Amino acid sequence: MDALQARIEAFLFWMQHVWGKGPTPDGQSFSELLLGSLNFWTLLEGTHLIALMLFAGTIFVVDLRLLGVTFRKTRVSAISDAILPLTVFSFVFVVLTGLGLLFSKPIFYYHTIWFRFKMVFLALALINIMVFHGRVQATLGTWDADETPPTAARMSAAGSLILWTLVILTGRFIPYNVYECGKAQPAFVNWVQECKTSEKGEENMAGQRFDSQMVKQ
Amino acid sequence: MSAGPTFQSFFPQASHWVEGLGATPVALFVNGPKFGYATWEVGHILSLILIGGTTIVMNIRLLGAGVTEESPQEVYRNLRFWQNVGVIGIVITGVLIGLTNAVKLYNSSAFTVKMMCLVAGVILTYGASRPVAAANGAVAMAPRIWLALGGAIFLAALWILCTTVLINVGVYHMITAMALILIAATRGRVRWIYLAGLAALVVAQFVHTHIVIKPDDYAHLDPVNKIYTALYGVWLVAIGLVSLFRGRGEVGGPPTKLLAYAAILVWVLGATARRWIAYQ
Repeated sequence: MDALQARIEAFLFWMQHVWGKGPTPDGQSFSELLLGSLNFWTLLEGTHLIALMLFAGTIFVVDLRLLGVTFRKTRVSAISDAILPLTVFSFVFVVLTGLGLLFSKPIFYYHTIWFRFKMVFLALALINIMVFHGRVQATLGTWDADETPPTAARMSAAGSLILWTLVILTGRFIPYNVYECGKAQPAFVNWVQECKTSEKGEENMAGQRFDSQMVKQ
Repeated sequence: MSAGPTFQSFFPQASHWVEGLGATPVALFVNGPKFGYATWEVGHILSLILIGGTTIVMNIRLLGAGVTEESPQEVYRNLRFWQNVGVIGIVITGVLIGLTNAVKLYNSSAFTVKMMCLVAGVILTYGASRPVAAANGAVAMAPRIWLALGGAIFLAALWILCTTVLINVGVYHMITAMALILIAATRGRVRWIYLAGLAALVVAQFVHTHIVIKPDDYAHLDPVNKIYTALYGVWLVAIGLVSLFRGRGEVGGPPTKLLAYAAILVWVLGATARRWIAYQ
């Protein structure tokens, strides 16, 4: 496990500080160039938010139909066929811009509790989509026109609403450095963020410090 | 390029009052808990998402795409409640988080753009887009007047964004949004011509700013990028105008589609300005 952790840290360090760096000592890596770019990083972040507006906004409309709250007299398939292409299209933008933002500060994101929670909720939301399309939607023909879809569909929609809201919430909390590694943090926070192996090390509430050996190597 | 108009330049006498807003009980309440401000900000984003989803579904329908199985009236009837929730939510959460950094907003031209978009967005949504959707695409005199008023404020806000240093790059969000909407709003030969022209512009800009001019030669890059930005604008507006008279949109004529474009883009501009407040 320690060997794997060391490899991950080394890979992140290479991605952030080494990859693309020229032979001159003042050269910058691709990641550093992106973060320090005059406009590109800000455009990426802005596009991430606006694409999220379209992505989550359209998915919420579909979920509300599945909950039997809106478009009750419209077939579920009519709503999803019309709206989900917009959702998928915007999701591509969200993912691409999200990867760009991650690439600009990989070490910071890797050791941020909110980013880790966001990835967990994102994974759960994607599993929820797969379960919906694999199981719930298989019987769509029998309840397509129902004003109130069956419990499984409503559960899936409720799960989707909750999980995407949590993804947005945890994503928004990322810039706030309350739980930043290197500051005195509760044991749970240090453990979740793996602060011990971060560039800033770990400090517990008693003021004891533990610095990474792996990163220094 | 200028620093852009701010509330400070319009109402300089309010400076002392604005400085005190951060110390009001409401601002202290928002900033009190560890993640208080961030949580209200999440509420602001969720409200924006609700507006985004409902607005795009309703107005894309007015453009003749999206939920075509239902009439625009039915789409409007199903979405109006959630749209109201979004607008009310954005105003309440906006006031709360705005109180905590009032001085910054008071001196921000991006915030001026955002507030103009809020006013224009409410006018275009409630005065034009919703009544027209409720009338299945028919545009009466009142929505035309609201479209003219809201559209004028929207264009003024866009002009400020485009001409204000440090936030003018945000216009690329508008270009991207309009480019994507046009994919849905055009069809057949017009769509292919549109996409070919857009692709040609993207390739030309890339070659010009990466091969013809060195990527670190900012003195030459800046004017060239501005020319390409203008060319994107001209191309999108031209295709937009063509799409008003051709293509999709069986539910209404050119005014219906024009207000649908405006009602979507005004919220995109508002979201853009919101994000660029932090960068100014």
